[in-house]
Amino acid sequence: MAAQTQTMTAAPKNKEPEQFLTGAQAIMQSLVEQGVDTIFGYPGGAIMPTYDALYDYQDKLKHILVRHEQGAGHAAQGYARMTNRAGVAMVTSGPGATNLMTPIADAMLDSTPLVCIVGQVKGNLLGTDAFQECDIIGISMPITKWNYQVVDANEIPEIIAKAFHIAESGRPGPVLIDITRTAQTDKMTQPFKYEKKVDVISYRPRVVPKQEHIEAAAKLINAAKKPYILAGHGVLLANAQDELKQFIEKAGIPVATTLLGMSAVDADHPLYVGWPGMHGNYGANVLTNECDVLIAIGMRFDDRITGDLGTYAKQAKVVHIEIDPAEINKNVFADAPVVGDAKEALKALLPLINTNSYPEWRAEFAKYDAIEYEKITKKDLFHEGDQIKMGEAVAMLSDKTKGEAVTVTDVGQHQMIANRYYRFKKPFSSVTSGGAGTMGFALPAAFGAKMGAPDREVVAIIGDGGFQMTIQELGTIAQSGLPVKIIILNNNFLGMVRQWQQLFFDRRYSFVELQNPDFITIAKGFGIAGHTVSDRAKLSESLDTLLQSDKPYLLEIICEKEENVFPMVPAGACVTKVILE
Amino acid sequence: MTTYTLSIFTSNTIGLLNRITIIFTRRRLNIESLTVCETERKGVSRFTIVIRHDSREAVEKLVRQIRKVVDVLAVFGYLDHEIVFNEIALFKIATPLGGVPLNIKEINLDWNAKVVHWGLDYVVIEKNGTEQEIAEFYHYIKNWEILEYLKSGRVAVGKTEKGLVEYLPEGDWEVV
Ligand SMILES: Cc1ncc(C[n+]2csc(CCOP(=O)(O)OP(=O)(O)O)c2C)c(N)n1
Ligand SMILES: [Mg+2]
Repeated sequence: MAAQTQTMTAAPKNKEPEQFLTGAQAIMQSLVEQGVDTIFGYPGGAIMPTYDALYDYQDKLKHILVRHEQGAGHAAQGYARMTNRAGVAMVTSGPGATNLMTPIADAMLDSTPLVCIVGQVKGNLLGTDAFQECDIIGISMPITKWNYQVVDANEIPEIIAKAFHIAESGRPGPVLIDITRTAQTDKMTQPFKYEKKVDVISYRPRVVPKQEHIEAAAKLINAAKKPYILAGHGVLLANAQDELKQFIEKAGIPVATTLLGMSAVDADHPLYVGWPGMHGNYGANVLTNECDVLIAIGMRFDDRITGDLGTYAKQAKVVHIEIDPAEINKNVFADAPVVGDAKEALKALLPLINTNSYPEWRAEFAKYDAIEYEKITKKDLFHEGDQIKMGEAVAMLSDKTKGEAVTVTDVGQHQMIANRYYRFKKPFSSVTSGGAGTMGFALPAAFGAKMGAPDREVVAIIGDGGFQMTIQELGTIAQSGLPVKIIILNNNFLGMVRQWQQLFFDRRYSFVELQNPDFITIAKGFGIAGHTVSDRAKLSESLDTLLQSDKPYLLEIICEKEENVFPMVPAGACVTKVILE
Repeated sequence: MTTYTLSIFTSNTIGLLNRITIIFTRRRLNIESLTVCETERKGVSRFTIVIRHDSREAVEKLVRQIRKVVDVLAVFGYLDHEIVFNEIALFKIATPLGGVPLNIKEINLDWNAKVVHWGLDYVVIEKNGTEQEIAEFYHYIKNWEILEYLKSGRVAVGKTEKGLVEYLPEGDWEVV
């Protein structure tokens, strides 16, 4: 009877005490007991019973009404990236659910925990092409870590607990639960009981690595003359930034962070050498092919990092620390694989690692840095031409925020420039769409990030193209009143595509120039203040205005139109084939 | 091309077949045969999938991707010499009046096949064996008119003393 009494107190006050919860109430109660505080969502027919239950839960669950379901998904991603807990999105069936597919695919590639609750038509209508019916289980199967269709209200607590467990543990990812309208309206036939701790017998990711793997890795690392660390998103997902710092400081090993691992190491740390990959740093790329031991931590050797696998780090012994065993040997052969959580692995490695320093090896990085500075950085930052360069704007933002803001970047040139010139001083400070490269990500994700980390300054940095993909979320931001700071780096082009057309398609600019709207007027229409700056002399005060605003604010920076992002390793090329200008 | 037999043990959930086959589709791998059945343990299904591939490494990657599916309990990839395997084929053969009669004794004794159904002017012959044995029998029986021919996918067990439970994650695996 004890469980039953507990259920009674859990039920909303205006309901008869002897009743069991409806499925919809069970969804709400499960979320509360899971510790969820924020839901990003959009209502519609098939999820209406749950929205009705939500009406009674408004004091416990904050619901954010977005303007498009894609916005809900990306906002939930931004929230998850700040909190390391699953972001929750709730939408209706059919088009509501399909609109969520882009964020889900994005979260899958970038290992972001999401729990998506999706309404479905009534149970008896399944498979009949009913109004707003869509086989969302089928559609989302390849892009979710797990999905499940609930047709029975009694299943709800268990399935929701399982969803959070799967989304957040191991290598995190998106989970979708498709709940028929009937399962929402039906009453449970048993007392509600939520058990947060679940054991899924077929899913028990290894967290603590095998000691023999740790020892083999330590042996390789201790014998290295030119070791090099690539730290990825897995470091942040495991909250292992402190362990990583201890590790590199003891071992004296130079460390680069991947785009998703950005901010896991203080940009001013003497051992930090930047980032590898297509638009990463010169030395960070070239020296991949000169190190003798490559230590990859929580990263998956994406092709944007490795370029040509046939020539990638062939000289090096590879230590690969990774929680997802399917990533081991997938792209790069691991001489010493360590399957486990990055934090646990680094903790176990630390005592076995010799104190060391590699001054000559580190000097190699410095050499390449100097070349990169001369050829690229200097020109980007101390440009004499009329127009503002993206790089100088970002560098100024970085200075003004002391490298302590969260930047949420969209996809394109501005994304690469922002991550290149923002000097991240704190972990969990770069939110971007890396694996999927989803334009339209930044505006809703910045909002979600602000929801997840209200005490931090969150600055969205977006291109003029991508801004127009989820521009409607200005409405969500305005309604919330949260001071999300938005910068459009406007080059009047789909800049990144234009760059490729210039470099690899003979400057044949095929549909990359935009006739843009007046962004500031649009923002004002949504109730968000803003202004445009095109004059370098006014850039500094413009950024001050943006940063000092206690409301959302839009700053449009008119940038040089045909600027290119360098360094660049062309797609599929060897990492030593870096184009500098 | 080498033949690989994958034994995949899963919890018995809806949609899992789909989740597994899309892993093959994405890599443009052709499934030669697929057999799904319940096992001697409650709630555990067994998929036997045969593929041909010239890269062992690629098959190993495939196995790891399948293992990653949340409802998959265990996956093994075998070469032919590591397993005992079989398929079952059915042949519907025309036996018209005045035609050459089938040599039932030969079919039974030489081919280890048997007639499992006698129709009015046809018979159904069942032949068990490896792909090759079935192909050879096909060649022989082709001398009569084949009205229909089909065969099942491969079923296979590993040549080891271990039982299913030893492959599964630790738990109470109830015998059916
Ligand atoms: C949804 C989506 N569609 C298309 C692309 C391909 N794409 C990558 S970058 C880019 C241009 C982005 O233009 P803009 O937002 O103005 O940023 P810029 O590169 O100019 O900084 C495009 C079209 C993409 N990444 N995502
Ligand atoms: Mg642009």
